[in-house]
Amino acid sequence: MEEFLNQIKEDFKDVSNEFETILIKVDVKNWLSSHEALRDKYDLKFFSWLSAIDWDNDVAVGDAPKEQVTPSFEIVSCLSSVDNSNLVTISTTISKDESSIPSLTSIYVGANWHEREAFEMFGIEFLGHPNLIKLYLPDGYEGNPMLKSFELISREVKPWPGDVDVESMPGDSTEENTE
Amino acid sequence: MTDVLIKVGFVALAALNGAVIFTIMDVKGASWMQRRPGPLHVGLRGFIFPLAEILKFVQKEDIIPTDVDRPVFKWAPAYVVISAVALFAVVPLSPTLVVADLELGVFFALAISSLSTIGVLTAGWSSANKFSLMGGLRAAGQLIAYELPLILAVVGVVIQAETMSLVGIVEKQIEWGVPFAFSGQIVAFLIFMVAATAEMMRVPFDMPIGESELTMGFMTEYSGIRFLIFYISEYMSMFVLCAIASTLFLGGYHLPFLPVEWVNIYGPISLITKTVILGFILVAVRWSFPRFREDQLQSLAWKFLIPASLLNILVTAILKVVL
Amino acid sequence: MNTIDPQNFQTISEASVSVEIETEDMTLNIGPQHPSTHGVLRLVAKVDGEKVYNVEPVLGYMHRGYEKLAEVRTYPQITTLVNRIDWVAGFSNEIPFIAGAERLMEIEVPERAKQIRLILTEMARICSHFVFNGAYALEVGALTPIFYAMEDRERVLDLIESVTGGRFHPNFNRIGGVKPAAGSGPTTKKNIQDLPAGFYRDTKIAMDKVIEAADKFQNLIGGNEVFHKRTKNIGVLSKETAEAYGVSGPILRASGVKSDLRTQTDYLPYDKFDFEIPIGQNGDCYDRWDVRTREMIESAKIVLQAIEDMPSGPLQAKVPKVIKVPAGRTYVRAENPKGEMGYYIVSEGGLGPYRLKVRTASFSNVSILPVMLEGALLPDLIAIMGSLDFVLGDVDR
Repeated sequence: MEEFLNQIKEDFKDVSNEFETILIKVDVKNWLSSHEALRDKYDLKFFSWLSAIDWDNDVAVGDAPKEQVTPSFEIVSCLSSVDNSNLVTISTTISKDESSIPSLTSIYVGANWHEREAFEMFGIEFLGHPNLIKLYLPDGYEGNPMLKSFELISREVKPWPGDVDVESMPGDSTEENTE
Repeated sequence: MTDVLIKVGFVALAALNGAVIFTIMDVKGASWMQRRPGPLHVGLRGFIFPLAEILKFVQKEDIIPTDVDRPVFKWAPAYVVISAVALFAVVPLSPTLVVADLELGVFFALAISSLSTIGVLTAGWSSANKFSLMGGLRAAGQLIAYELPLILAVVGVVIQAETMSLVGIVEKQIEWGVPFAFSGQIVAFLIFMVAATAEMMRVPFDMPIGESELTMGFMTEYSGIRFLIFYISEYMSMFVLCAIASTLFLGGYHLPFLPVEWVNIYGPISLITKTVILGFILVAVRWSFPRFREDQLQSLAWKFLIPASLLNILVTAILKVVL
Repeated sequence: MNTIDPQNFQTISEASVSVEIETEDMTLNIGPQHPSTHGVLRLVAKVDGEKVYNVEPVLGYMHRGYEKLAEVRTYPQITTLVNRIDWVAGFSNEIPFIAGAERLMEIEVPERAKQIRLILTEMARICSHFVFNGAYALEVGALTPIFYAMEDRERVLDLIESVTGGRFHPNFNRIGGVKPAAGSGPTTKKNIQDLPAGFYRDTKIAMDKVIEAADKFQNLIGGNEVFHKRTKNIGVLSKETAEAYGVSGPILRASGVKSDLRTQTDYLPYDKFDFEIPIGQNGDCYDRWDVRTREMIESAKIVLQAIEDMPSGPLQAKVPKVIKVPAGRTYVRAENPKGEMGYYIVSEGGLGPYRLKVRTASFSNVSILPVMLEGALLPDLIAIMGSLDFVLGDVDR
């Protein structure tokens, strides 16, 4: 694992290994070439998944990020090898206004369905994808559900009954849980 | 006139009773092999379930989809059940207890039993359903393919017995002292049983029904009594084909070491016992084996069974001339 | 249709009539309600007679939006949600998620809790493979093995219920360990609910019966000639195709790849136990069935070893009352019975994750259907789909 990490650090500039997950950050223009390099040189032929993260300060569901972020999409893909336990996640950032990125289907055939899902959930266009249509959502569904600005209708109508009270209940100690 | 009515009544009664006996045997055998307690213990030691099933089907709504070809759809079960019931007329329970002792008994039986193919095919085509269509087409191919081994296997028996009448065949076996299955027709017996299983579309040959693929195949769109007719006619044809097999190959109503004057008493018992034994073998095979794929089924018929039965005829004919 | 012109030939033997029979491909809609699609999967198939030319899976009939739901819930609440993804092996879905949260919080899980988690995961694997065995035999046409499979599975489900209280959705994992206390509140005394009395004896009986049942299946189904004809050399999958599509689990192992994530994880103590990893040779349907049946035996052996030496100790590590996971990202993956299941947790230090990506095994496994089903016959389509052993909750999330 150490050796692998060192090799990766030689080829890519922005590599971090936190919580046992290697994260490589690349530019959009190197998206395809870095995947090709990882597949050919490092034998990471197993395409695990591809998805996106919507970074936004103004969220309709959940909590906003701690510090201010520039609104953008972060596309993350994960590759691994079946012969040993090497695994990397690669991410790139694209802007929300022109959300398009080249498709990985020319390098990994299995990226097909993952990109379709990212397309319908986030609205990201994958250039060069053979069949970019909806995967899960029914025909005529409007909107991209996984965007942070997309509201959960049921949460708007009724507050969440499982809200965890952050302050301590009266009579209960705030000490840590004993064994 | 009353003669004819008695005979018709007897045939109908025999057909229904045969179907009920075999339904009970099939389902009880199934639940015994599958370790299900329902049909084994629940309700009068489990014997009440045929009544429950029949009542269930009778009280269901008769749904006919809009796009079907109505007259064809309605008449399809009739072809199947007619061909099964008519066969009961030639099976001899004893030399005198037979509804119609035809000279061409075997010929009649085989000809009538192939009528069911029309019923199955029309059921598949007339239901406006692609899955039924596929079931019907598979059935057509299968039933036509397996008619030939059935007939050719019987030809061997006919050569050996020198007669086509069923009573005559049993008399010949009595004359020889050994049933045909053990005096040269063992290959024909096995071919007959395999071909009969395919004719009845039972597992392992139930591709036309193909429960896990076509959800009841050609019978998918039938409900209520129409489905019950298909269901019952399968058991009727199972009973009568096993009865014909035991007549042709196992000696029918004859039991050795018993006086001939009492044949009217022990004849039916002997025939029904032999039929039930053969039926039980079919039941055991049904619940143990997966089903063949359609092309494997066809190649089994055309490449294996037909040449084997032709060889059987050749050998029988040679031995008949020589011995 | 060409017409025959009598002037054009002298003898009948010269007459060669080429008649074009117009045939069209039929579009057959398999599903969403179908006995063999393991749920609401819809395949739009173009068939010509019995031969399938083109298959397009239509998904989404069971899409429940897990990733969006996870953004409005806290970590303990998500545990309840997550064991409904692959509902046949409920317990094994919770493990990678909890392990991810524990990794971000840097909590050390006590040994006893790890061992209990391992035992329950292997039992969930046994349950899932029983369902596969019974259902696959049913799809190929054998009507009896499913009853045997369900009956033997009941014993294992009873064991899981006696420990966790639930058969399919146990919700037994807590951040830091397994559920230690029940009925804790101001009026009842907190008591440690450990493994129930008689667990050791019942588990031994159940696992011996599992090994017996797997042997019986290998004889009853695996030795059957007709089963061989239906599954051997059908749906062959090569290693390269499998890797490119992200196919994992028993399907990958049946294609000859010795890859099992249980040897690569550290949050469950698999390295203490001795087990084999079954591999297949050809990558056809028979090999996939065979690998899973042998895996059942291996799982039973692991459980028998694991209950022999159970470490004693606490069932849950010390965690704060309100769980806030510090910022960071991690990807944890586990060997689910269906394949590789992973959770990518992006945490911003809140009560719940900022983004949770669920990587399910069956989603990638089903994506090879268009490739594998080209040119297959319709009964082979059913056999191949059954051998992939997917569950719709896993595919659609």
